[in-house]
Amino acid sequence: MLTFDQVHFYYKKGQPVLEDISFTIEAGEFVAIVGANGSGKSTIAKLIDGLLLPRKGSVQFKGLDTTNPADLADIHQQIGFIFQNPEDQFITTTVMDEVLFGLENIRVPREEMRSRLEDALQAVHMEDYLDAMPHQLSGGQKQRVAIAAILAMRPQVIIFDEATSMLDPQGRQQVLAIMQELHRQGLTIIQITHHMEEVLSAERLLLLHQGRLEYDGAPLAFFETMPVADYQLQLPFAVRVHALLHSEVPPTADWKGIIRSQWSTN
Amino acid sequence: MVYKLDNLSVNYADHVALHNINCTITAGKWISIIGPTGAGKSTFVKVLKGLIPTVKGDYWIDQQPAPRDAKGQLKVVPELGFVFQYPEHQLFETTVQKELSFALNLQGASRQQITEAIERILPQVGLSESILPLNPFQLSGGEKRRVAIAAVLMTNPKLLILDEPTAGLDPASQVSLLKLLKTWQQQNQSTILFVSHQMEDVVEYSDEVLVFHKGQLEGHFDPRTLFMEKEELLVELGLSMPEPVQLLKLVEELSGQKIEVASCKEQDIFDAVQPIWHSRGRLHG
Repeated sequence: MLTFDQVHFYYKKGQPVLEDISFTIEAGEFVAIVGANGSGKSTIAKLIDGLLLPRKGSVQFKGLDTTNPADLADIHQQIGFIFQNPEDQFITTTVMDEVLFGLENIRVPREEMRSRLEDALQAVHMEDYLDAMPHQLSGGQKQRVAIAAILAMRPQVIIFDEATSMLDPQGRQQVLAIMQELHRQGLTIIQITHHMEEVLSAERLLLLHQGRLEYDGAPLAFFETMPVADYQLQLPFAVRVHALLHSEVPPTADWKGIIRSQWSTN
Repeated sequence: MVYKLDNLSVNYADHVALHNINCTITAGKWISIIGPTGAGKSTFVKVLKGLIPTVKGDYWIDQQPAPRDAKGQLKVVPELGFVFQYPEHQLFETTVQKELSFALNLQGASRQQITEAIERILPQVGLSESILPLNPFQLSGGEKRRVAIAAVLMTNPKLLILDEPTAGLDPASQVSLLKLLKTWQQQNQSTILFVSHQMEDVVEYSDEVLVFHKGQLEGHFDPRTLFMEKEELLVELGLSMPEPVQLLKLVEELSGQKIEVASCKEQDIFDAVQPIWHSRGRLHG
C-alpha cells in the first residue's frame, strides 16, 4: 500500500540524511519507527506525507506518487499526522471547530459533517467536550482532539510523531489505548517513538541508523538479537525483567501476565 | 542556600495556579516535581526563579526576603539556573564557544575566567573541547541539549531548575544526560529541581519528591515513602507507579511475603526479587 523504493534524501548535497531506503507497509499494519536523534525518522514521516520529496527513488501510496503534484491533495487527505506538542496543533477556539475545520477545507457536505464530528469525538472519548476551549483541556485531551480532527477526515494511515512524549502518564496511556483501538478497527498506524515500552506492542519495527534502514522485522526479535545500545536505544523494561528472571516464555509488553502465569510452574 | 515559600499563592485571571504553598528547598538535593498536566509544577518553579512578579505570601532565600522592585513585585533571582523545555531552541550564537561564553561575558568575567569555566563544565556534560568551534546547529539533538545546559551551568547556579530536560532525546542520550546531571549536582553540592513525567527517572535520581495537584502541594516525600506507601495518591492523580516498583508489588503479592529492598531503584529491586523468583516453587511447597 505504502512503498519506499530506493529512496535517497538530503537537505544539503554531500550530507545524506536517508540512503537507499526500501520498504512496503501494508494496509492495517502497526509499524514503529525507532532510532537515535538525527537518524532520519522524522524525515521518513515527512516523505510519506509528501511534505518532503525524495532526491532519488520514489514514495508511493496506493498508486499515488508524492512527486506528482496532482496526487498530493489525495495523499494528504488519506494520511494524517499527529505531532509531538499538543499546543502546536490546536488552531481554532473550540473542540467542535477544531474537528470541523479540516472538514470544511475538504468541502464535506454540511449534512455529513455532524455525523463525522460525532463519530470522531466518540472514537477518542471526547464527545462531552464539544464547546471546550483549548486552555480547559489537558495535554492528553488536546492530543485526543487532534486525533479526532484527523479521524474526521477518514484517513487510512495515521502517523504519530512522538505524539506521547510531552504527555503526563495518564495522557500517554489514553493516547496509546486509542492508537491500539484504531489499529483494531483497521487503520494503518505508523508510530515514531523513543519509548521502547511502546514499541513492544507494535507488529513491526523499522530501525534507522545514520540514514539507513538497519532492521525491519518483529520488535521482540529486534531486542533479542540486535545490540540496541549501539543504536542509542535501550531494552524495554519487559525485556529487562525477562532477562532477570530467565523466563522461558518469550517476553511481551504484558510482563505482569507472564510473571503471574509462570509463578506456579516451577 | 535555602529557599522557602510561606503561604504562597498565584492567581491568574480566571484561576488559581498555586494555592497556599508551604515548602522548603534545602541545598545539595535532587528534588523531583511531579503531578498531572496543569497541576502547578511550572508555575511553582517560575515563582522560585522570580519570573512571576505578583504573588501572595512570602518567599525567603537564606532567611532574607527574595528581591523585590520598588512596587513590591518579585524580581528575577539571578543565581538560579533555569533550563526550559527544549533549551536548544534558545541557542543563537554561531559557535559553541560563543554560546558558552555569553552569560559570563555579560557578567563582565575575564577571558581567563571564561576559559577556565569552559574547561571545567565541558567534561561535566560529557562534551570535549573539539566541539567549541562548531556551529551549535550542526550538532545532534543530544549534543545541542548538552550545550544548552552547559551554558546554564557556566554561571555556577546553586539551584538548577530543569523542566523535562530529556524530552525528545533518544533513550541512550536521556540516560547519559541524567547521569551527568546527577554527578554535577553531587560534586557541586548544588540542588536540582527536576520537573518530570517519567516516574522511572524520578525514582532513579531523586532525594526528595514534591507532588502537585490542582495548584496545591499534596506532599513533600522521600521517594521510597511515596512510591512504596502512597500508591493510592499516585493513582488518584493519574501518575503511574515506576515499573520496578510494580514488579516488586507483584512479586510480594504472589509470594505472600514482604520483600526488603535497599531502595526503590531498579537495580535494588531486581537484586531483591531475583532470588525469590527462583525459589518460588519451594516457597509454595
